Amino acid sequence: MASVTTLAAVGEVGKGFIHERTSETLPCQATNKLFCWDWAGEHINRYETPTLQHLELVAISVLIGFVIAFALALLAHRHQWLQPPLLAGTGVLYTIPSVAFFFLLLPITGRGMDTAIIALSAYTLQIIFRNTMIGFANVPRSVVDAARGMGQTDRQVLWRVELPLAMPEIFAGLQVATVSTVAIATLAAFAGGGGLGEPILKGGISFKTNLIIAGGIAFLIAVSLGLILFAVQRFLTPWRRVRQA
Amino acid sequence: MPSDELTEKSSAGASPVRYAGATKRYPGSAKAAVEELTLEIPAGEICVLVGPSGCGKTTAMRMVNRTVEMTEGDIFIGEQSVRDRNPAQLRREIGYVIQQIGLFPHRTIAENIAAVPQLLGWKKERAAARSAELLSLVGLDPDLAERYPAQLSGGQQQRVGVARALAADPLVMLMDEPFGAIDPINRERLQNEFLRLQAEIGKTVLFVTHDIDEAIKMGDRIAIMREGGRVAQYATPAELLMDPADEFVEDFVGADRALKRLALMRVADIDLWKAPLAHAGQATSEVRADLEGAEVPYPLLVDGDSRPLGWLSERDLAGAQVPARPDSPLGPLLDRDDIMRDALADLLQGEAQYAAVVDHEGRIDGVLSVEIISEFLASPEAKTEEHSATERPHG
Repeated sequence: MASVTTLAAVGEVGKGFIHERTSETLPCQATNKLFCWDWAGEHINRYETPTLQHLELVAISVLIGFVIAFALALLAHRHQWLQPPLLAGTGVLYTIPSVAFFFLLLPITGRGMDTAIIALSAYTLQIIFRNTMIGFANVPRSVVDAARGMGQTDRQVLWRVELPLAMPEIFAGLQVATVSTVAIATLAAFAGGGGLGEPILKGGISFKTNLIIAGGIAFLIAVSLGLILFAVQRFLTPWRRVRQA
Repeated sequence: MPSDELTEKSSAGASPVRYAGATKRYPGSAKAAVEELTLEIPAGEICVLVGPSGCGKTTAMRMVNRTVEMTEGDIFIGEQSVRDRNPAQLRREIGYVIQQIGLFPHRTIAENIAAVPQLLGWKKERAAARSAELLSLVGLDPDLAERYPAQLSGGQQQRVGVARALAADPLVMLMDEPFGAIDPINRERLQNEFLRLQAEIGKTVLFVTHDIDEAIKMGDRIAIMREGGRVAQYATPAELLMDPADEFVEDFVGADRALKRLALMRVADIDLWKAPLAHAGQATSEVRADLEGAEVPYPLLVDGDSRPLGWLSERDLAGAQVPARPDSPLGPLLDRDDIMRDALADLLQGEAQYAAVVDHEGRIDGVLSVEIISEFLASPEAKTEEHSATERPHG
């Protein structure tokens, strides 16, 4: 009985999630069961839009974050003195709690996907920037010395030598940034940004089937994006796969 | 036919290098790293810059391709000042080999070798053909072309480093301790290979090392440098060993310079002794007669082609005829072209007083003894003898 009262309390928000509240035998979703297969089978299509939105949020945010962080990294690589302030700056952004970040942006950018994307992009900066710098720092000095000594210009050294060799670290940064963005993007619903946070917010936190489906989809997105990035990195760095002869 | 093409091209591709008061001062440092260096390196010769660490030898070398910019003075390659050149373009005409090799780990061996040709805009096929040609020139299996550097041993990687530096047929080669990180056995092999290569291609080479033995071995000329990038002495290896300019050079060359001089000589450079020769079946009385007044007190048994078989002892001569098999073994056998230092080592190691020396066909040429060597080192003629011995062997 307790669960019925709780469900009623959810009221408007939970509307549509709960059917046949008055039927004789309580349906699965009205009980405290962990997962309701019947309900899941019937309603799986309502996750389609949030899933696509979630992918959109992640893809756009990581892309914007990458472009900005990468440009900053190139700048800091050329002018080394820029490194500490940029690390600190992106670090400060990274420490703002995400929900607070969304609410801080609301008066400026209003509710919607844009607000969510701004915050999510800001979170990726630190990881991508730092990993790109580490990638540059790990390029053996002797290789750069040889490249310069044979007559490569600064630009050629950067694009032909340093960037390819920094690829593993850059991709590691992208991977972490992507996976964490998938997780943080579930909070975008607070800013009206849609995504998989939406059904969680609407369905209420006590309806476990809903939580598991939404959370599970987010988990699958994170794992598959991580694997795709890993595969791309392997494809782009064939020299790392060779074994000592 | 690619190798014909190479020698034809390479023979024209060497320029003299001239330092004219080249100076490098680092900001905030009172002393110059290199002070008014003036040095002339003839085309096609190996000049070794050698000295203790911090003497400015690497800085001096790097000013040539402007990876270090000089503060005053000038350096000329041929007639042209390096200051008048765009640094990147200048460097593409100068081979560059460094101790850490610095191969591109993300490029195949063929791509590594073709790096400079690619910068110069060569067509793909031409660059690939050049890579294959250079692989064989430095003695590497052409199958390695598609491997990555991590799949090669250190010695193989350094050969690729040399091939890469030679790819665009540079006028000058800069080599900064190129064999310094290689184990001693492979280092010696790489040194010999490079000397053989150099005999073929005749580049002007600036070679930096801190190892005086390597300098003596590799250099046509050696510039011994002391702190502040000043040249203490610039001379051929033989001159340096015979006649050190001052105490600093004497110290740096080392107390064993008499022995080092032996490294510059071949067995053929010295007057050998003659041993009485004996043939199997010859009358022993005849052999005994030859022994009278001979330089070597033992007869040497040789075959019909004058190839030494062994030394004859008193017991061998006891019969009427010389036996076919000698009582004592031959001991060390030297070639006319052996390096004198190695010959001495063979003598000492074999605990032998005498070693037979043979020519290319294996025929007896003479006999070397420890006594000859020590007499030679003590004699005043040694100096003049050695000059002729410093010509580089081609084999």
